[in-house]
Amino acid sequence: MDCLREIETDGNSNPIQISRLALDIGGSLIKLVYFSRDSGDHEDPLNDSVRISNGVNGRLHFAKFETTNINDCLQFISANKLFFGVTIHLKATGGGAYKFSDLFKEKLGISLEKEDEMDCLVTGANFLLKAVNHEAFTYLNGQKEFVQIDHNDLYPYLLVNIGSGVSMIKVDGDGKFERVSGTSVGGGTFWGLGKLLTKCQSFDELLELSQRGNNRVLDMLVGDIYGGMDYSKIGLSSTAIASSFGRAISNSNELHDYKPEDVSRSLLRMISNNIGQISYLNALQFGLKRIFFGGFFTRGHSYTMDTISVAVHFWSKGEAKAMFLRHEGFLGALGAFMSYERHSLGDLMVNQSVQIPVDASSSTDTNYNPLERDLNETESMQCSVYQA
Amino acid sequence: MASLKEDPILGIDGITIKEEFEIAKPVIDKLREDRPALETEGTVIKGESVIDKVIEEGSGGQGERDMVPPTCTSIHRSGSRPQLDLSKAAIEGNFEERDPTILLPNQSDDISHLALDIGGSLIKLVYFSRHQDRPTNDKRKKTVKERLGLSNGNRRSYPILGGRLHFVKFETSKINECLDFISSKQLHCGGVDSHSWHSDTSSNGNAVIKATGGGAYKYADLLKERLGVSLDKEDEMDCLVAGANFLLKAIRHEAFTHMEGQKEFVQIDQNDMFPYLLVNIGSGVSMIKVDGDGKFERVSGTNVGGGTYWGLGRLLTKCKSFDELLELSQRGDNGTIDMLVGDIYGGMDYNKIGLSASTIASSFGKAISEKKELTNYRPEDISLSLLRMISYNIGQISYLNALRFGLKRIFFGGFFIRGHAYTMDAISFAVHFWSKGEAQAMFLRHEGFLGALGAFMSYEKHGLDDLMVHQLVESYLGLHPVKRKRKRKRKRKRISWMEKFVQKGTEITAPVPMASSGTTGLGGFEVPSSKGGTLRSDASALNVGVLHLVPTLEVFPQLADPKMYEPNTIDLADHSELEYWFTVLSDHLPDLVDKAVASEGGTDDSKRRGDAFARAFSAHLARLMEEPAAYGKLGLANLLELREECLREFQFVDAYRSIKQRENEASLAVLPDLLVELDSMTEETRLLTLIEGVLAANIFDWGSRACVELYHKGTIIEIYRMSRNKMQRPWRVDDFDAFKERMLGSGDKKPCPHKRALLFVDNSGADVILGMLPLARELLRHGTEVVLVANSLPALNDVTAMELPDIVAEAAKHCDILRRAAEAGGLLVDAMINTSDGSKDNSSSVPLMVVENGCGSPCIDLRQVSSELAAAAKDADLIVLEGMGRALHTNFNTRFKCEALKRCRRNSNLRNEGHIPRLELKIYSLPVVYNS
Repeated sequence: MDCLREIETDGNSNPIQISRLALDIGGSLIKLVYFSRDSGDHEDPLNDSVRISNGVNGRLHFAKFETTNINDCLQFISANKLFFGVTIHLKATGGGAYKFSDLFKEKLGISLEKEDEMDCLVTGANFLLKAVNHEAFTYLNGQKEFVQIDHNDLYPYLLVNIGSGVSMIKVDGDGKFERVSGTSVGGGTFWGLGKLLTKCQSFDELLELSQRGNNRVLDMLVGDIYGGMDYSKIGLSSTAIASSFGRAISNSNELHDYKPEDVSRSLLRMISNNIGQISYLNALQFGLKRIFFGGFFTRGHSYTMDTISVAVHFWSKGEAKAMFLRHEGFLGALGAFMSYERHSLGDLMVNQSVQIPVDASSSTDTNYNPLERDLNETESMQCSVYQA
Repeated sequence: MASLKEDPILGIDGITIKEEFEIAKPVIDKLREDRPALETEGTVIKGESVIDKVIEEGSGGQGERDMVPPTCTSIHRSGSRPQLDLSKAAIEGNFEERDPTILLPNQSDDISHLALDIGGSLIKLVYFSRHQDRPTNDKRKKTVKERLGLSNGNRRSYPILGGRLHFVKFETSKINECLDFISSKQLHCGGVDSHSWHSDTSSNGNAVIKATGGGAYKYADLLKERLGVSLDKEDEMDCLVAGANFLLKAIRHEAFTHMEGQKEFVQIDQNDMFPYLLVNIGSGVSMIKVDGDGKFERVSGTNVGGGTYWGLGRLLTKCKSFDELLELSQRGDNGTIDMLVGDIYGGMDYNKIGLSASTIASSFGKAISEKKELTNYRPEDISLSLLRMISYNIGQISYLNALRFGLKRIFFGGFFIRGHAYTMDAISFAVHFWSKGEAQAMFLRHEGFLGALGAFMSYEKHGLDDLMVHQLVESYLGLHPVKRKRKRKRKRKRISWMEKFVQKGTEITAPVPMASSGTTGLGGFEVPSSKGGTLRSDASALNVGVLHLVPTLEVFPQLADPKMYEPNTIDLADHSELEYWFTVLSDHLPDLVDKAVASEGGTDDSKRRGDAFARAFSAHLARLMEEPAAYGKLGLANLLELREECLREFQFVDAYRSIKQRENEASLAVLPDLLVELDSMTEETRLLTLIEGVLAANIFDWGSRACVELYHKGTIIEIYRMSRNKMQRPWRVDDFDAFKERMLGSGDKKPCPHKRALLFVDNSGADVILGMLPLARELLRHGTEVVLVANSLPALNDVTAMELPDIVAEAAKHCDILRRAAEAGGLLVDAMINTSDGSKDNSSSVPLMVVENGCGSPCIDLRQVSSELAAAAKDADLIVLEGMGRALHTNFNTRFKCEALKRCRRNSNLRNEGHIPRLELKIYSLPVVYNS
């Protein structure tokens, strides 16, 4: 996976010394968050815990692997293993922390300390929203707009984590949250159905296809039913989707008669729209003003975000806005990472984080539009870790 | 009395037939419906064949052929096709009442009888066919009307028509089939009572049909071109809501819940119906908050609906039809494709947030991680995963919307559901899951027809607005047209109605093995050998019966608690109970077929019909065994009625005709002797004897072999005496003394005669003649008006309202009391007995009347009785219910506002020997229940 390459690139110039690593092993992706101290500062990672009073400068890194390629992940960890020190416990979350527990033990001799998934998601999101400027943004009609979050007026909010499935969590404060809803129609559905329908080899390839697709080929629009007219009485325009994939009914085309691009597009719209709608309905139910979307499904993909935003906008009649997180995919891993500090270091804060774009050359996501590259490049951030 | 030609099979056994009347053959108005099926491009669209269940007595019927003046002449009608007989729809007597402006040529808002809902995938039709007019010169009715104060003045200035609402669907992609269907039935040729203006409209071809759904716009031109009709577009949401409101109000047991395979009907309180959330799942999904009639708002919806299921399903599985896809899902395992919580958590639950290992974490999520191609997955699994994904999603979004608006009830309708148990379960599960058990999904039996029904309702003056639930009777026998492949080589002759009947018997899908065509004696007729993919849709189509609109039906006014009234004593939800009755009915079937065939003269034609009837009825039974709620809530009364309907469906108008005649003859012959004997008794003895007599007489039941034996052994009067002796008091529950006190007084108390007694009569023969008539006579003697209440249509050997006047007339020959009362009640007017005019002094007698009950079943549902009976009942202060069907199987627990005497035979060894119903201990020992 390309992120691995990025990290290696990073390491070429300056070998990373990983002093903390946490994992989020999901149904489709493994997300890693790890900390490296600034080069030349302190060689021995074990000294981390020794230095108490002064801040430790370093970087938080973010990496991901497909769960099916878990061996790559193991290899990566193994390669950096010596930096971890003697106590080989890794914080891990996600279902895979249970499922692959034995594998880690067997292959690497590493014990995974399981952290609750929801705990981690919320901790990660709270951290990002508080600690990172311009973490949250809205995205509508191709316009990205950063949202300044008032730390004192952050709660409550709805956190929608779109992984393989979707969890919707009402967050009332640090460690105060409730999973209120969810849906099984999520990233896994997009990728799974997409794979069956298009033979794409990767999630990203599928997403990319959707960029060039036209959903009108497969979706039954209001106009299709009303002979090109709007159903204005209830506010449905003729281009509104009446039934996703509904046109696949009425003509005699087989699957191979459709362009994979169109299939992907329809699928993406169906799923994004659905998530947006259910999220809004849940926010409404609990009177939540803000909805943050995270998880790897969005992937900074403009069209996905646009669709989710439109859904929220449409169903809320403009009253609610979807917000996205730049580190969308790493909430759980970040949360797991944060859990290292909990016991010994009290309410240690990572603050004044400065995001440093990694070298442009490291990005291989050239197929994405510039905006997305911008988002994807924030794969590490500089930060100082203080003990309170 | 009624005597036709000799019963060819049963003979008369030495009983002399004194007179022979030619009774006009009762007409069942069905011919219009039983049009030959049409052949169109290799497919046959089969019209429904339904019968008029109620109130279709009467004579003077004509075959369809002689009443087909071309009353509707659309430009595009193809003259050679049989056409819907609209001539009978003439307004006739009601014509004067109509608003004269109706004659305007541009009148387009007349009652039409077709409405369309053209959706993205399916076209739904609702059309109305009228009951045949009943004869207007029935003097008995006239007298009854006068007596009972039934005025002819209607509440409305226009006629309300009895008739049937039919529900039919077509795939939108095959719209031509739909157009052929419409044109073949001439449904587009104006209104039901277009008689007054059609000639004008036909000249300018300006027929207008109400339509809704997107296709009403899209296909407007096509319809104009093909059928020459304009579509009057009705708003889709308006129609959905109007349709749903109508169904929820008008049809009992329309709504039901469906959890884990269990269907349970929900009684909707009409006064506490609103607000509710209506979720219509068509190609897409609309969610509508309904606050009242015409008051609603579309609050939400989703684009992931039936179209998504079918569209994606087709791409993924190559299924050829929606139903095939649904069918596949039945055998699927979604665990192979869906990523379950257990898959992520290594088989463990995620307890903390209440997710079990089998919860779907990600629909189709497993398709990611494996190296499989589409072809490696079973279509069954794909279909199930897809179905669950979409159903759960709809359930969830619906619940969230209901929650948002504080709606307690969620009704799901639309064609996605199709009565498919798994879909309903999945939606119910989602609603249950997300609401943590607080909300329940409810479904509608006419789920797919909300829009079409609403469009139909939008015709002005359709008269359905204030239609009440008791005015609708549902018949399950009318099936939807089923497209079937048929070899083109068929003989050129048109398919006769007979063949259609046989098809019907075959098409009712049931797990019982059907006899192949070779064994039916129908040489040459092709029975479809493979039903294949249509199986499911056929089965679900059965869920929607034809609605009979019988505007004259009313709720029996003497019911103490009409809201809580439940006619059935026996709940067939108990499966062993159902099994018992299934066995009884099955065992009796061959005998019934013999009788039915004999009643029609034993011709080849009647044998074929008998054969078809047996198969159709067995199929219905088998289907009900498998799914008792298939046709709505099932009670014993429904089951017994189904059999009668089935008989009528196959044109056996009166299977017991000859048996009834024979028994009537025999009983009438001994009546004079009995009356003499009775008159020689003291009042008190007589009363007891009469009550005993009613019980005894009821023994003479048609099915009883023991009874036949008795016929051979002795005279009727002996048998009657013998039976009566068996009825010696004390009875198990014996309210006789209370009744006696009221009738005869005791001590200081003066006798207090009733003003009017309703006697619900049961069997022909001894039962009515030796049992009920003497009791009626006794009541008349006490100055009580007597109304004999009898079936409108034949059922088993029950005496009908049409037969009674003749019987009474015959009896009156020997009894002055009866004669004077019958004259006063108008019964002797059209009987041919009244020859001795000299002794007429009817003014001194209270009347003896006959009314029909509105039923054609051995049981009676008192929520739906004829207006005649309802009117008669208003002033009644005594009700006598007698017999198994009306006093035991139904109404045993019924409480009335006035005094009631319920009597049924204490007898388990004559009918249904060997089978002791569960109720026997409890009920059979209670022959007389008298509550005042």
